[in-house]
Amino acid sequence: MEMFLDFFANTGFALVDYRNLIMIAIGVIFIYLGIAKHYEPLLLVPIGFGILLGNIPVFKGLGLSIYESNSVLNYLYFGVTSGVYPPLIFLGIGAMTDFSTLLARPVLMLLGAAAQAGIFLTFLGALALGFAPNEAASIGIIGGADGPTAIFLTAKLAPELIGPIAVAAYSYMALVPVIQPPIMKLLTTRKERLIRMEEPRLVFKREKIIFPIVAVLLCCFIAPAALPLLGLLFFGNLLKEAIVTERLAQAARSAVIDTVTILLGVTVGASTQADVFLTGKSIGIFVLGALSFGVATAAGLLFAKLLNLFLKTRINPLLGAAGVSAVPDSARVVHMVGQAEDPGNYLLMHAMAPNVSGVIGSAVGAGILWSFMV
Amino acid sequence: MTGLEAIQHYNGFAMAGVGITIVFTALVALSLIISQLHKVLLAWENRAAWADAMRRWKRGNGRGTTEKELPDIEAIREPARQFHLLIEFTGEPFSLPVLIKRAESRGLARVHFTVSRLIECHLIVPDEDGYFRWNHEVYNRFSGRRKK
Repeated sequence: MEMFLDFFANTGFALVDYRNLIMIAIGVIFIYLGIAKHYEPLLLVPIGFGILLGNIPVFKGLGLSIYESNSVLNYLYFGVTSGVYPPLIFLGIGAMTDFSTLLARPVLMLLGAAAQAGIFLTFLGALALGFAPNEAASIGIIGGADGPTAIFLTAKLAPELIGPIAVAAYSYMALVPVIQPPIMKLLTTRKERLIRMEEPRLVFKREKIIFPIVAVLLCCFIAPAALPLLGLLFFGNLLKEAIVTERLAQAARSAVIDTVTILLGVTVGASTQADVFLTGKSIGIFVLGALSFGVATAAGLLFAKLLNLFLKTRINPLLGAAGVSAVPDSARVVHMVGQAEDPGNYLLMHAMAPNVSGVIGSAVGAGILWSFMV
Repeated sequence: MTGLEAIQHYNGFAMAGVGITIVFTALVALSLIISQLHKVLLAWENRAAWADAMRRWKRGNGRGTTEKELPDIEAIREPARQFHLLIEFTGEPFSLPVLIKRAESRGLARVHFTVSRLIECHLIVPDEDGYFRWNHEVYNRFSGRRKK
């Protein structure tokens, strides 16, 4: 009987705390949103399941918890804390991304730059709320709407906040179709939303091959700290465009990115153990994260309107909202909002330009913040 | 420490200002480069023609250009006259496939080759809406020279 009681004392039923139950409920909601509502299922399902794994109460000392140095989860988590997974994800993203529309209309790149204002304004907001500068920088990067970039920078600057920041970043990325449309409608007139974009010019294959080389050299000379992310992003893109390396590109955009997404999702989810996740700081992070998404969207929209004052051919200001780098969700939302006004207005292809430039901009922004804090 | 005091203490405004400026600088520089990239590539692909144009320009303010182009026109003088009549009849602007079809139906010889030469000689020029026009200025110049 005593043995049975000892065994029972080490089971999850005896060790469970109400906070674990809250987190398990959050994990289940994530899985539900991913499977039933199709909100970023490739991210929310692994993260949701990781939350379940991380919040099953375990006996300390057996090497089971993600925070115990000899546990299996801890080994897998090394890819997060060391910043290995995010660049590998960027490699896959690069191998999937077509920069044609950006090359055809380079001016749209400025919308991706404007949306990064969200990062720096949130950084100021986090400082004002009493976060330390390294924590504020990690929170600010949520405004870049780029999960891997947020994880990368947080791993470097404030590893203890990876859980809440990653969950906030991915949650808001999944909620882009909910967060962005009201801001887009508020800041644009119907007449502006009806603007049709010109057909982009044909882009030569050579341009597409030269672009990643020029871009990596220029961006990394300006912001060397962005090298791990932008280096692999543009390398992946070169593999895609070079044709002769199609096999490698195929591996990068399928096996590599899928494997890393699974490991990243599960371990980030598992890192949200109730005792480290359910804190006042996490609430602050979630509030600031939502604000940063809103600010980034508004900055992109307003900058697009400003550009229209100088451009001969006006652009649809909705494209500014795609400057947040949630690829391709924000571009899709721009397309949907545009089509709600005029079903014959196809903005998706055009919105991909600020969308991918937002990826570049947020990586440069992360690099800059990292270099400021070192 | 919170509020403005915290921002000023950590030099937050300067970091944010410099940060967004660097992001803008990087992306503006990149957009400037890629906006010129296709022109550079085009120039590289036509480097022989560019070198030729430069040589002619050095020889004397573009005089060579006219001399270079006119022999091409002279070589297709009769087909040019026929196409001029055909286009006057069918109207402008016109699409190339329709023009070629009409020329073939009227029994003109080597239609594709001739249209290609007319484009090279700038007698047929695009109107930037996907259609083409007859370049009356060049044709008149060519006709005027022929009369001499």
